[in-house]
Amino acid sequence: MTVANPEVAVVPERGARDDELGAFAWVATVDHKRIGILYLLTSLVFFGIGGAEALLIRLQLARPNAHFLSPETYNEMFTMHGTTMIFLVVMPALVGLGNYFVPLMIGARDMAFPRLNALSYWLFPFGGLLLHFSLLAGGAPSAGWFSYAPLSETPYSSTAGTDYWILALLVLGIGSVSGAINLIATVITLRAPGLTIRRLPLFVWMTFVTAVLIVLALPVLNASLAMLLVDRRLDAHFFQPNGGGSAILWQHFFWTFGHPEVYIMALPAFGIISEVIPVFSRKPIFGYEFVAASTVAIAILSFGVWAHHMFAVGLGHRADLAFAMGSMAIAVPTGVKIFNWIATMWGGAIRFTTAMMFAVAFLLEFVIGGLSGITFAAAPIDWQVTDTYYLVAHFHYVLFGGTAFAIFAGIYYWFPKMTGRLLDERWGKVHFWLTVVGFNLTFFVQHFLGILGMPRRVYTYPDLPGWGALNMVSTVGAFVMGVSVVVFAINMAASLRRGRVAGDNPWNGWTLEWATTSPPHPHNFERALIVRSRRPLRDPLPAGGAPARTAAPESHVPDKAVVAVWAFIVSEAAFFVVLILSYVFFNRSTKAAAAALDVSKTGAFTVCLLASSLTLYIAERSLERGKTRVFRACLTATLVLGLVFLGGQAGEYLKLFERGFAVDTSLFTSTFFTLTGFHGFHVLLGLIALGFLARLAFAGDFQDKSSRALRAVGLYWHFVDAVWVVVFTLVYGRIVL
Amino acid sequence: MTTRALLLSAWDPGTVVPVACILALGAYGFCYRGRLESRAAFFGLGVAIFFAALASPIGVLARGYSFSAHMLQHLLLMLAVPPLTLLGLPRERGARASPPRDRGAFGYLGPWAAGVGAMWLWHAPLLCNAAATSPTVQALQTASLLVMGYAFWRPILVPRVVDRLPAFAAILYLFAACVACTILGIVVTFSPVEVCSAYVHPVDSLGVLALLRDGWGLSCRADQEIGGLMMWVPACLVYGAAILATIGRYYGEEETLPHAAGGAP
Repeated sequence: MTVANPEVAVVPERGARDDELGAFAWVATVDHKRIGILYLLTSLVFFGIGGAEALLIRLQLARPNAHFLSPETYNEMFTMHGTTMIFLVVMPALVGLGNYFVPLMIGARDMAFPRLNALSYWLFPFGGLLLHFSLLAGGAPSAGWFSYAPLSETPYSSTAGTDYWILALLVLGIGSVSGAINLIATVITLRAPGLTIRRLPLFVWMTFVTAVLIVLALPVLNASLAMLLVDRRLDAHFFQPNGGGSAILWQHFFWTFGHPEVYIMALPAFGIISEVIPVFSRKPIFGYEFVAASTVAIAILSFGVWAHHMFAVGLGHRADLAFAMGSMAIAVPTGVKIFNWIATMWGGAIRFTTAMMFAVAFLLEFVIGGLSGITFAAAPIDWQVTDTYYLVAHFHYVLFGGTAFAIFAGIYYWFPKMTGRLLDERWGKVHFWLTVVGFNLTFFVQHFLGILGMPRRVYTYPDLPGWGALNMVSTVGAFVMGVSVVVFAINMAASLRRGRVAGDNPWNGWTLEWATTSPPHPHNFERALIVRSRRPLRDPLPAGGAPARTAAPESHVPDKAVVAVWAFIVSEAAFFVVLILSYVFFNRSTKAAAAALDVSKTGAFTVCLLASSLTLYIAERSLERGKTRVFRACLTATLVLGLVFLGGQAGEYLKLFERGFAVDTSLFTSTFFTLTGFHGFHVLLGLIALGFLARLAFAGDFQDKSSRALRAVGLYWHFVDAVWVVVFTLVYGRIVL
Repeated sequence: MTTRALLLSAWDPGTVVPVACILALGAYGFCYRGRLESRAAFFGLGVAIFFAALASPIGVLARGYSFSAHMLQHLLLMLAVPPLTLLGLPRERGARASPPRDRGAFGYLGPWAAGVGAMWLWHAPLLCNAAATSPTVQALQTASLLVMGYAFWRPILVPRVVDRLPAFAAILYLFAACVACTILGIVVTFSPVEVCSAYVHPVDSLGVLALLRDGWGLSCRADQEIGGLMMWVPACLVYGAAILATIGRYYGEEETLPHAAGGAP
């Protein structure tokens, strides 16, 4: 029996275009591998910045009553540290690994939408720069990474820092959502023949589930950020109690995003661990089905437990109880995964490479973080230790001991594939031990500090017995970690030049990325791939050598444009649900609306919008039947009807402004203008897309009977109309009823 | 009245409910005589829950006394009775009959809207009050909940397996229902106004109000909160369990796709 370990020795060649462009080729690239590396390098830069901020924080806290940093600077430091590490380091690093390896592991040539991929990447450094630009514009944001209202409102955060924080997160959020849509479309439509969902490598599966979480959760943050920005720049009162708004609402919205975000950062890490541990134990993963299915369970439960971040707010015992139950339930699928990984190692031929050591350390540290997490699920314990250093210790064990360790494991595992050279193992071990020792020194003692009562986010502390010593230990640990990062960077730089040449498959891995050269050819694979099991590189070759591509007829593959538009629609729906909920929340009675709005007039324009959906439907049908003239006429009619609706909305706005209704007049006007304004903006975007289609149609395009572009834009347009039906019913319809 | 007395005395089966139960069981026994499987227990459980939801103290309290009892009844009728009875029907392999029907993505919008709409519709204050006070409206509510519940669960659990929604579509279908149900649960839980004002001042014909308010400490505020939380957490757990069962079934199925080595089909 021969093993299909293709010996295609192809030196990766870049095209002529790349040679012409030189270093600029990296800026202009749409290759998922280069974009993945750009993600990783950029996040490494931000890791340096966020790490330096952490060291400044630890220096300030090394001694009691210290004045190394002013309280204001300290607030800026912990805000920037948290925001940077979450949005500019962990998420992009995981997306970077996903970008590089998901197409390779499913045997695709690239992502589904390479240009969209480049856009998603470039929004990331742009968002990072926007966040750091605040330093030049009057001061960094200082309201913490979750910017609780009303602290984040203008009266309490008067510098532009919070505005830049909002804008940066909006930009990053849009980049993350577009990247996630791309990943979803890639995994659904571009898998190699025979690679069914049942056989998907777990890293791909978990990245896919993460992408679904991003599509659902990030829009919730974006909508809340938009409302906070309207508060700050247009004097609305969404989250300001003194104007009738609700500060608690911000917390609900933020954690509706924030808790799934925890799993957005954890699930891909689980995926890395699920690749690394089996390969270095020489065994397939124990209970593949359970690991895959429990990931979905975690993803679903993650949306139902956000209020455990708010036990101290006072939601009432009954709500606390329900959320405590949900939070404990989510520990079950996560906890059993740990046993899956241990059972995978059990009886395996374990090789303790640096990657494997980081993966094993991940198990230990993540269990500590998970256990302290369960203590937080019990509301009474939460009341005692929330917002103390016990909490800081908990989430660092999850996010550093968990996610960051997994990212290190992933980088040691995949570096040879990305560069063609192995990372040096001796330096790797030094890096590993410095990280483990430094990390535990820093954060383990913080459990004790928290139980002793040391609050987080306070720039200094009194000289109470034991506090100074424990904090000094923590600071020393932080600097050990700082050294470990330097070792890591040196190791990468040195190995890149002089590292041992890796070959195609240095670890004897069995997923598809090891079936090509290291680094892979621009088009990834030299031959047609066919997958027959979960470990394709161990599949026996069929008789007669490599089979032709036609040998594996794939079941029905959906169109990538349609998949992407559906994913986009889901994300937009999440966005509008938040805006609609805040409208309903702030407008329980319809008095204010009745005084301001003219139902019958808007009703007429609503009919126009609904009619435009009908004309677009007829347009699609006539294209199918080849009636070009009807198609063009209906497309034009759709455009005109959409414009009429938009004109009607503009007229309504002008009239309201004339009568003295502005965004900051009352909660009704704030919510009304925000909701209908964002809807109008979406109508406008739909009209622009339709305008492009109309131009193409009149230029004689659309010779085929079906058009992916028309279907995609059509779906989006119907969605925008459906949203308006809901908005109209809630805003105008309720007045009549 | 004590809790014990309530649990013992507040049974009101009427005539329709027992007759319906007996007819259902009888029809089941007649149709599948000779080939009864262990899954018949699911059907029996479904019928028993139907009986309990309407005739037991749950049903009695739901009639104008307690919003959370109403919610429990509502959830049992929609999320327990239809899926359990459908599960109880023997599977048809579907080889003999017509090929699977392809309804397209929009074909499932109707059943989905029925399942979710039943939740939202019957908690509009007007309808909720009417159902809590008028026996006719309540009978109508019960019937519509069952019908809409069956419409919702049919694509997931229809006995002929080839007619079921494909696994990943089923996950989306169930997850979207869970989200819709969660949103309503949140609104009901945190809403400062009463969703159903009929439950604030019940007509105390059985004399159990004192037990509810003082004995159980169930103020109207708490009553509504518990109702909202029930719709939010346990309801979503039902959808979540269905999702997990779907994934489990998916991984348990034989790989039926044409394999690589076989050449063209």
